[in-house]
Amino acid sequence: MTTPNRPLALLAELTYRCPLQCPYCSNPLELGRYRQELDTETWIRVLGEAAELGVVQLHFSGGEPLVRRDILDLVREARRLELYSNMSTGATVVDGGTLDRLREAGLDHLQVSLLDTDPDSNDRLAGTRSFDRKRDAVRGAKERGFPVTLNVVLHRQNLDRIEDVIRIALEWNVDRLELAHTQYTGWAFRNRAALMPTRAQFEHAEAVVERARAGEAARLDILHVLPDYYQDFPKACLQGWGNVFMNVAPDGAVLPCQTAREITGLEFPNVRDHSLREIWTEAPVFQRFRGTDWLPEPCRSCDRREVDFGGCRCQAFLMTGDAGATDPVCHLSPHHHLVGEALREAERSDPPLRYRVMSA
Amino acid sequence: MSEDSVIRRPVLAAHTRYRWDKLRDQHQLVFPEGMIVLNDSAAAIVQLCDGRSTDELIAALVAKLKDPVPASELSDDVQGCLRHLVERGLLRDDAE
Repeated sequence: MTTPNRPLALLAELTYRCPLQCPYCSNPLELGRYRQELDTETWIRVLGEAAELGVVQLHFSGGEPLVRRDILDLVREARRLELYSNMSTGATVVDGGTLDRLREAGLDHLQVSLLDTDPDSNDRLAGTRSFDRKRDAVRGAKERGFPVTLNVVLHRQNLDRIEDVIRIALEWNVDRLELAHTQYTGWAFRNRAALMPTRAQFEHAEAVVERARAGEAARLDILHVLPDYYQDFPKACLQGWGNVFMNVAPDGAVLPCQTAREITGLEFPNVRDHSLREIWTEAPVFQRFRGTDWLPEPCRSCDRREVDFGGCRCQAFLMTGDAGATDPVCHLSPHHHLVGEALREAERSDPPLRYRVMSA
Repeated sequence: MSEDSVIRRPVLAAHTRYRWDKLRDQHQLVFPEGMIVLNDSAAAIVQLCDGRSTDELIAALVAKLKDPVPASELSDDVQGCLRHLVERGLLRDDAE
């Protein structure tokens, strides 16, 4: 066994509870199975272990991290440990007072989700009224000097308003805009036929973004995550399995990727039983797809093997039933025809959205 | 930004933070979802990007040297480093 790199980033999913019901949520489908959340003391221990292990970036996420009553204690601890802290929030349960306290506690950066620029469409996709609160939270955060990234997940139902997305990001005065095409795992995989954009939609949006970058939105830092179903090669998912990233789920399970629970047959160790260091260096699940030795053909002999590490393991599993297969979005994958079939199915159907719900 | 633009009052962007990583023996400039590793001279510059003028920044660098050199000898290197960070969106010029 070779010694792994030190991890750089920890995704701390504090809870799966959330007021929103986004149909592309990356949380597991059987949300009700994971109601036993870690307590404050355990999270404090985990943050300390993460810092000792070499983690630099800490992402507080969920669910909605702000529903945790100990959120300020955890942010303060991150600051004390000199971790760079980011919070991904739906921003529907935050007021000026909360923003002041988060700033004071030392939160470095806020990432706010927006589902659509059309308020009715935003609220329909979220399953609840939320547009006005998101706008007020972003403006409040900017007034307080918070660096803010606006995060918009792109799909068929909002992609044609890409110009408005950029306009709103400028109007709301955010620092960064993350335009992330839906990643089809978790709830999004179940809603794929309703969310997949057409090639024409995606190409139009890409041109709009490029024009804006060179023009009116030059001051905005735009991160554009392209839809991998329309690319020739897969994403370097998390820069490789067990390479720089780890995720602690609300129940304490430690995952190499937040959607890894999609892959049946993997066993996830828990921070209630082991230290993060033990898990990172020794747990079989982290070693399973670490590095490039495990790669199948055509990846094994491909000169991109150190570039994309075979792509996304969850996507490979969901599409082919084999988590050890080449990501089917790669045009060299023997399963690449599945991508074309999914795109054709999406073009000829328009099923209703299945919303994220927390049933047992 | 042009090659010869001059940065007069460098301030770290709100979303960036300098940190010393004692486990990796590294100077880091961290920002959302990324970081860059700084060499010793860049780290010394970055830690002085707090709203003072570039002239004052260079004077402070000179004062730290064991064998002081005229400020004019550092100017090009400092401006080069500052420009690079501004282009990456990690630094802004408060004089603008």
